[in-house]
Amino acid sequence: MNLHAVLSLLVFSPLVGIIVLAILPKSQEIAIKAVGFLATLPPLALSLAVYAHYLAGKSLSDFSVSVPWIQFRGLQPDEPAYAVNYELAISGFQLLLVVLTSVVSTLAALGACRFIKKEWKGYFMLFLLLVTGMLGLFTAENMVLFFIFFEVTLIPTFFLIGKWGYFEKEKAAFSFLIYNGFGSAVLLIVIMILLAKTGTTNIVMLKEIIADPSVGLSADFKLGLFIALLIAFGVKLPIFPLHSWMLRVHVQAPPSVVMIHSGILLKIGAYGLIRFGMGIFPDQFKQLAVLLAILGVINLLYGAFLAFIQTDFKMVLAYSSISHMGIVLMGLAAMNEAGIQGAIFQVVSHGLISALLFFLVGVLYERTETSLIGNLGGLAKGMPLTAGFLLAAAMASLGLPGMSGFVSEFMAFLGLFKVEPWIAAVGSIGIIMTAVYLLRAVLGMTFGKAFRDFDGVLDLRGLELVPVLVLMLLIVLIGVYPSVLSSPLQATLETIMLGLGG
Amino acid sequence: MVNLTKLYAVGGQITRIVHEWCLTPIDTHLKRGFDKMENAWLIPLFPLLSFLLLLLIGKRLKEASAYVGILMTLASLVFSILVLLERFSEPTYLYRFDWLTIGEMHLTAGFEVNQLNALMLFIVSLVSFLVHTYSKGYMHGDERFHVFYAYLGLFTFAMLGLVISPNILQTYIFWELVGLGSFLLIGFYYYKEEAKAAAKKAFIMTRIGDVGLLIGMILLFWQTNSFEYSEIFKAVEAGAISNTMITLTAILIFIGAIGKSGQFPLHTWLPDAMEGPTPVSALIHAATMVAAGVYLVAALFPLFLASKTALMTVAVIGGFTAIFAASIGLVQTDIKRVLAYSTVSQLGYMMLALGSAGYVAGVFHLMTHAFFKALLFLAAGSVIHAVHTQNIEEMGGLWKKLKFTAPLFLIGTLAISGVPGLSGFFSKDEILVAAWEGGHPVLFLLALIAAFMTAFYMFRLFFMVFTGENRGKQTHVHESPSTMTLPMLLLGILAVVAGYVNTPWFGSFLGDWLTDGNPVLGHGHIEGPAWIMAAATIVSLAGILLAYLIYGKRSIAPDWLSGKGDMLHTVLYNKYYIDEFYQMTVVAFVTGFSYLLRFIDVFIVEGIIKGVTGIIQGLGKLGSKMQTGQVQTYGAVAFVGLAVLVVIYALTGGYLR
Repeated sequence: MNLHAVLSLLVFSPLVGIIVLAILPKSQEIAIKAVGFLATLPPLALSLAVYAHYLAGKSLSDFSVSVPWIQFRGLQPDEPAYAVNYELAISGFQLLLVVLTSVVSTLAALGACRFIKKEWKGYFMLFLLLVTGMLGLFTAENMVLFFIFFEVTLIPTFFLIGKWGYFEKEKAAFSFLIYNGFGSAVLLIVIMILLAKTGTTNIVMLKEIIADPSVGLSADFKLGLFIALLIAFGVKLPIFPLHSWMLRVHVQAPPSVVMIHSGILLKIGAYGLIRFGMGIFPDQFKQLAVLLAILGVINLLYGAFLAFIQTDFKMVLAYSSISHMGIVLMGLAAMNEAGIQGAIFQVVSHGLISALLFFLVGVLYERTETSLIGNLGGLAKGMPLTAGFLLAAAMASLGLPGMSGFVSEFMAFLGLFKVEPWIAAVGSIGIIMTAVYLLRAVLGMTFGKAFRDFDGVLDLRGLELVPVLVLMLLIVLIGVYPSVLSSPLQATLETIMLGLGG
Repeated sequence: MVNLTKLYAVGGQITRIVHEWCLTPIDTHLKRGFDKMENAWLIPLFPLLSFLLLLLIGKRLKEASAYVGILMTLASLVFSILVLLERFSEPTYLYRFDWLTIGEMHLTAGFEVNQLNALMLFIVSLVSFLVHTYSKGYMHGDERFHVFYAYLGLFTFAMLGLVISPNILQTYIFWELVGLGSFLLIGFYYYKEEAKAAAKKAFIMTRIGDVGLLIGMILLFWQTNSFEYSEIFKAVEAGAISNTMITLTAILIFIGAIGKSGQFPLHTWLPDAMEGPTPVSALIHAATMVAAGVYLVAALFPLFLASKTALMTVAVIGGFTAIFAASIGLVQTDIKRVLAYSTVSQLGYMMLALGSAGYVAGVFHLMTHAFFKALLFLAAGSVIHAVHTQNIEEMGGLWKKLKFTAPLFLIGTLAISGVPGLSGFFSKDEILVAAWEGGHPVLFLLALIAAFMTAFYMFRLFFMVFTGENRGKQTHVHESPSTMTLPMLLLGILAVVAGYVNTPWFGSFLGDWLTDGNPVLGHGHIEGPAWIMAAATIVSLAGILLAYLIYGKRSIAPDWLSGKGDMLHTVLYNKYYIDEFYQMTVVAFVTGFSYLLRFIDVFIVEGIIKGVTGIIQGLGKLGSKMQTGQVQTYGAVAFVGLAVLVVIYALTGGYLR
């Protein structure tokens, strides 16, 4: 098999599902769901095959592909030619995100089969387009391609929220579009400036050009570009105070979309910061490291304290996401191996944990039609499995050792304590607060006296157990044997550290 | 495509060990013997297996789940005994493998069998086994019987993993898992609001301590580039760490111990933890987990020894907690709460010993306390099982009805009171000697007073429960089944004899062995003046006598010193209002701060956004209003524009740059 085609196949294979769905009649519920789910399997299989390829000790660069795509000459005769290639590649870091994306997508498709109650055809077509967008942006090797895939994720998400969400879905969808549109506009400007100034958007080449002092880009100019990137991806992560859109999305979007949104889409922010921010502008990153560490701590504490007083469990989880993304920032700001690895671990770990939590929220909402903590209580009696997994997921989220959250948090703090012990010490209050708000919320729903009679309510059953068990197993696997993540990362880490000059 | 050997390589060394172990012919195993310390890693795995099995099939097994749990912990116990016996003659065994790679750093995991670990393995697996057996009777008829056994398995796994860890990171990992087990078991009766609150409180209070431990551990790592105990000690010995840093990290780590061992000011969760089933109180909140703090300080003892300030902190906190908790124990009326405060107080005692450089005394008391306190809790459970109340005001005269439980409870009471001849006497004496020799006369005095109080409140408990008239409504009081009484009997025997492994009369076997090869830890036995032993005996007997006069013979009214309803009594009864104080300060602050942030979130962050969108909308509307279709207006605008351009042109002299 030609390995160069693998990534393209991986990225575009969900489109086959869209074509099949297009010719299926709207009324064929079961067939539509089946196609929607099956179409997520090829990327899953391919991404696992790539992982297996890596495990077998072969190089990931076997998969790189680069084909000339758009070229044009400058107006002046002495200007260099501008070239944007169609180029996909995969490194250890990207591999993890691709596997995460394909796993969560498959499980979210399963979730959608249960949680989506109308117009499945439209839902799954948009959903599969979204999957292609996500896979594409994690494998894109230049910024133009990245940007295109980035936009491909925005539009389906907008419709998925706006059409299939809860009561204030339109408001949430517009909020999502406005903020993210703003972020991507800023990103586009950065990309265009880089293309105009350097003639390329290839990430590896950009890195070299930016690092090269003989290329006449002033330090202030680079800093400006970096800050623009920080804003563009800060919206996505989200960094305080750019977060209010994602609260609405978390509450209003259907659970199967939030699984993707919280699990993968938020991670684009972290991915962008690492790949472009840290990768292309390492010196500027260094310059702002202390600021980033402080922003990280603010995110961590702000999210944690606000999660403590929410009455809706979905809001608790939304603020919890803000809080956990703070840890990513803190880890990155440490600018050492432990911190960066911790941040990347946190990206993957939070992806799995929040997908699990939102799946469970979906199950809960389907049964009880509420996610208000005050309207629940004593669920452990009627729904012991759901309650048990909810507690387990909360434990993972609060960083219980033996689960993925701990390894991530631990490394991020380990890294930051080396360079900024005081900032890290303030951040450690977040570790306590996380336990406080999660236990308050989860015990409030599952322990104590039953708020009302939940006797007729069904527990987790049948296919619903698949996403829960798969995610739980992955969370525990990473917690117990973190090398599954850390060994593919070492090469990426080395490259980043080289860029940082450490 | 993916070949198997490669997978093993990736699966890492764990897979390899298991694989090799499985492939080794059975007779080789037998020849090698299971007693080799290199197989000690199996000890925590049995209870883990029990946990997993019961999680999967417990529902079908129902009460037969008990056998799974009992068998698995029995296996652990047998292994632990073999390992302990082997450790008497063989040197420390250490095994490590790479667990997590971060760039150049390789963090390891593994297991170690040194003297302290081997002793702890034995104590933990023994008490766990007995509690597993006891629970078969105690939990009989409970709807979630199998869940209880699953949780017990998880806890035992974590606790055994904790004591076998060769590095502080791994200790921390199991430390937290132990907390999880404790949390789950306190909240076992999840439908009770009290149990829910207690479980939450236990988790959060201990987590506050854990953050201290985490920070201390990370700071130590950046000083020594290692989490390994041995590397840390090497660095300390070599003077590679500054004094300030040693003090700081030691105190931070001690904060972790304060949380876990219920020391002041993080003690409030432990009495509340009594909401859990009584066997749990015996296992977790008396004998094993709460002793983990003491164990941690002992395991890192060379670090603490290197800092006078850190040692002093440990001693002061320990000494204060000992007398503080004992004073609360004087007036409580719930049988389990009295025992809980007694546990807090005794843990303080151990800390005091360690802080006074009495390594052997601390560990020795940890061991004897594990036996007699587990006994007391199990006996208390047997009493509760019989009379269905925990209020000692509603008991009385049970000596005749509980022919088996009562004498065993008495043995436990005598042991904890430090009556000569029983285990508690010897270990308490060691602590008093250590406190005296450690050069803290005030702390010594505190310890002595606490010993008096202990004897008093324990016998108050005994007399109120077992002597006098029955004050309860319960008429059908009968002795517990043999699954409950046999474990108590065994613990009763140990509560009597366990002290003889380290006495001034028959030699300090335990102490010599514990400190063997580690001169830093001090000598096996600290020689102290003989009057200390006499003083200890006198205060203990005096306490018993006073309790007898008040609650046994009733010749002194209970309120002879302070009338009931008196200030002192109220303050003690309400535990010095510490919970209320936290409620009013910390909890109020956190809630208030959260609301402040919500204000910011709703009004400022959202407000700015609304403002920006408002401006853009306004501009848009203005723009759309321009499109009026009136040619006159358009003409006027065009003319004004032209005029402006002309003015600019004139002012710049025709040159636009």
